[in-house]
Amino acid sequence: MTSDLSFLNNIRTALKLPQGAERTKNMFPALFAKPDKSKILEKIANRSQDEKALLVDQFKANCVTLKTVLHVAETAKEVEDITVEIIRTKEPEFSYNRHIIQHNHPDISGMQLWKRFNRESVTVHTTFPGDPEITEKTIAAYIGITVPRISIAESGTLVQFTTPGCPRSTSLVPSIHIALIRGEDLVADLEEAYALIEEINPGESFVFISGPSKTADIEAHLVHGAHGPKEVHIILLKEVEKIPEAAAESQLANIAEEEACQEGTTKENADTVKEGTAGLEDPAEKMN
Amino acid sequence: MSQKTGSTYNQDAKKAIDSPTLQKNLHNLYERFGKGAMQVWEELEDQGMRDRVKESRMRTLAHLDIVLAELAENVRKRGGKVYFAQSGQDAIDYTIDVARKNKVRKVVKGKSMISMEIEIDQALAADGIEVIETDLGEYIIQLADDRPSHIIAPCIHMDRNDIGQLFTEKLGIEPTTDPEKLTMVARKELRQELLTADMGITGCNLACAETGQISIVSNEGNIRMVTTMPRVHVALMGMERVTATMDEHRETIQLLTMGAALQKLSTYVSFTGGPRGKDDPDGPEEFHLVIIDNGRSKILEDSDFRESLACIRCGACLNICPVYGKIGGHAYNSTYPGPIGAVITPLLDGINKHADLCKGETLCGACLDVCPVRNDLPRMLSALRYKLAYGDNHWNVRQHNVAESYVYAAWQRAISHSSAYRRMIKTVRLLQKPFIGKNRMIQRMTGLAAGWTDSRDLPPIAKRTFAEIWDEKYAKPQQQTQEIREEKTDD
Repeated sequence: MTSDLSFLNNIRTALKLPQGAERTKNMFPALFAKPDKSKILEKIANRSQDEKALLVDQFKANCVTLKTVLHVAETAKEVEDITVEIIRTKEPEFSYNRHIIQHNHPDISGMQLWKRFNRESVTVHTTFPGDPEITEKTIAAYIGITVPRISIAESGTLVQFTTPGCPRSTSLVPSIHIALIRGEDLVADLEEAYALIEEINPGESFVFISGPSKTADIEAHLVHGAHGPKEVHIILLKEVEKIPEAAAESQLANIAEEEACQEGTTKENADTVKEGTAGLEDPAEKMN
Repeated sequence: MSQKTGSTYNQDAKKAIDSPTLQKNLHNLYERFGKGAMQVWEELEDQGMRDRVKESRMRTLAHLDIVLAELAENVRKRGGKVYFAQSGQDAIDYTIDVARKNKVRKVVKGKSMISMEIEIDQALAADGIEVIETDLGEYIIQLADDRPSHIIAPCIHMDRNDIGQLFTEKLGIEPTTDPEKLTMVARKELRQELLTADMGITGCNLACAETGQISIVSNEGNIRMVTTMPRVHVALMGMERVTATMDEHRETIQLLTMGAALQKLSTYVSFTGGPRGKDDPDGPEEFHLVIIDNGRSKILEDSDFRESLACIRCGACLNICPVYGKIGGHAYNSTYPGPIGAVITPLLDGINKHADLCKGETLCGACLDVCPVRNDLPRMLSALRYKLAYGDNHWNVRQHNVAESYVYAAWQRAISHSSAYRRMIKTVRLLQKPFIGKNRMIQRMTGLAAGWTDSRDLPPIAKRTFAEIWDEKYAKPQQQTQEIREEKTDD
């Protein structure tokens, strides 16, 4: 670390500090001061149903601008149907084989996609930790499915953390990214998202994703699908309003119940926001 | 002057002005992003944000030793390697060493200004390593063996026909000029490179010391590929590109994406700060952060210019600048064009060498208005000109034009003494006679002054000046009042 010492000493000289006097962060508590985030976290936790509905609307509008396809589902069954429909209707970009790769997450494995495709030539891979072939499987896949931990209404953004069962490449290498999110994970803005991130303290890697990959390097003409996914589909599972008695029950139990009641619901019920025409004049789209 | 310094500023500027493609693209850039950024700042709900970020940038710079030590410590805690490079050459040597140890044959790069500043591509190529740019604009520039002309839109000087022809020539595709088709060709070509490269090199938009991470913004996704697929990731970072806390990071990164392209956030903001975890199936096995000084500490030292290190490289000042908007990026002959380039290029690479850049800008103040952190570039340009006018030992500047300084000294004497001034007017009135054209204007002059009348006429000195008429009509009988008036006129 000799390079550290002379480099930092050089900076101290430039700042006209006395030679050899190493400063430490403890001498300047204000520099790394952490404002109290509990108010922000409380606000996220105690948002009323009306406020939440407004956030969903804002998120929808931003998805339209970003050319993200947002599907809103009422039940877990709907989420599953929408996912199956996307897989059936989309064609692979780089090969003829229909491989999909999904994160090792209960919200995805709960769909049991492999069962839905047991009579079709669709191969479903899961990113189990320790599988040495994950990278090859991901490169072969045309669809990657993930469950971002946080979504941001203000900018239409997904926050994807990296963990052993949830590698970085799943939302990146396949041509289409399907993100399953829950209404309760939707926050208002970046400030709230950063407060949650600091609270959760994820590992060395995470990413904000706002829409499909894009470029405007050729004559400022906007093209989607430069290096990352050409299409991003977000399937938002609406938050189930908590009944006071059932408040203690887990969300999953609620959904399972509804699923049972609504067996056979057609997927047309899904409130789907297709690629809109709004925002065509928005200059933000026309950049690289 | 350009002949004197061997600079190609004038020739390159002329070439740019003569290119209809570039002029059209620059005009669009100004209309859309230059004016657009001004509107974003006007409509910003939180009007205190820009000042807050500037304050935090300046605070970080004043405590840079502490903040960088903290960043290095936190990256190392995660198993990342940190190297402090005093010079560009140190950074190159370290990176090549890493490449050799890992038997790297192919490097994919994410767009990085500092890699161009230290000229690492050439050094890697000389070591037998293949280097591929992956940002679409940079890839096109690399294929064309050209230089980028904008920090965010590198091939703004080319149109779809140029690029179509280039792809047909170099990649053997069917001729096309459709941006969509061209992008898909590059997508396919680069995907192969990205999936098979041994090492990824990126820059760093903004590191965060308290979490020990760097963050990089991109819209294409190439940065994510470069930082995920190869075995080794080397991030090159200018030493000033850091915030102390995540709160500062949040506001600064927002100003960056808004200033650069009017976006609330760019498509991707990647945070990374170490090698892949033990059970992670992808991500680099080695992560190296190279923190580079390369002349920045000298800027930090000078209170006149420290502010320039608060820059977050959004490029908004290029988009709004009337000079950049005409002459484009190539004339600046630097990694950093536009107003910010006109300030930091001379500071990093020699003030005399880049004198044309300091003098070329108009000091209109548009860059100050549009800068997300309100960097006073016009003030710094004036300070640079002052050094060029009078010389400066600390910055090793010799007087740019000695003859000019004599002319100004004489001019100062003349206009601060009324009798000398009046004598001068009378003399010039005689001398100008042969130059007055049919339109009663001076249409051409000789010698040094010839350039002035190349594209405009100069009104001649009146047969009788206002002061002379006044004297004749009213002031003659009252000598004393006249003297007072004279002084006033001369002020």
